Amino acid sequence: MAVHGPDLVGRRFSSNHTRSVTAEAISTFAAAIGADSRFTPPTFLISFSVAAAEEFLPTIGFDWARVVHGDQRFLHHRDVRAGDELSYSSEIESYKNLAGNEFVSIRTDFISALDGESISSTWSTLVFRGEQS
Amino acid sequence: MSWSVGHEFTEKTFTVNRSALKQYADASGDQNPIHQDEAFAQSVGLPNVIAHGMYTMALAGEAIRNWVGSEKSLTEFSTRFAKPVVVPAGEDVPLTFTGKISAIEGDQIIIDVTATCNGVKVLTQTKARVQL
Repeated sequence: MAVHGPDLVGRRFSSNHTRSVTAEAISTFAAAIGADSRFTPPTFLISFSVAAAEEFLPTIGFDWARVVHGDQRFLHHRDVRAGDELSYSSEIESYKNLAGNEFVSIRTDFISALDGESISSTWSTLVFRGEQS
Repeated sequence: MSWSVGHEFTEKTFTVNRSALKQYADASGDQNPIHQDEAFAQSVGLPNVIAHGMYTMALAGEAIRNWVGSEKSLTEFSTRFAKPVVVPAGEDVPLTFTGKISAIEGDQIIIDVTATCNGVKVLTQTKARVQL
């Protein structure tokens, strides 16, 4: 596995793709956690956040098979709704290597592709376990 | 409904089993085999299949909405994943949440949440800001 350094901090990634939020995706997610499907669960965006990280981290040598989730935060300017078309960009906010385990914190900002409104930001710390652990 | 700082919500327990993890994997797109395949989980040093951390966080969010009303928005929600929730085959594993109001800021309340599984704290520093 590649060795990374603190120079990763500030690295930004954006995608040309947008993601459509469907009523079906919200109700499927709500059903999986036993929630009322009329309201978007506050963690619904995680699948988009993880997909964003999955797009770019392997391109800089991170081994997705060795990842563990360290912490997670959501900030919602408004609830995500069915019909939203979201564009997103990510930035590495911190990087630490502790005893061979790499801690990478990523912020992903979601904005409406229709009118540019800020919808949500998510922060995820992903821990890539070193070979010896 | 009016609440005050220090208010403790009624403890809420969910049960987690293998079929729930499969349903969450399909809904969230997180198909990491450590959440479904016992042999794979053990091959990477885990005691057994473990729940997705984000599934536990999602249930914490659902506990909060049970307390404050499903229509309320959680404008901020954060946690650390402290310990894995181990889900052996054929078992219903209990996940218990407690919540306490730690602050009230205008029309928003801050709730501190604990999450335990068989007496072990599985989430730490879990906080939600709820718009009333």
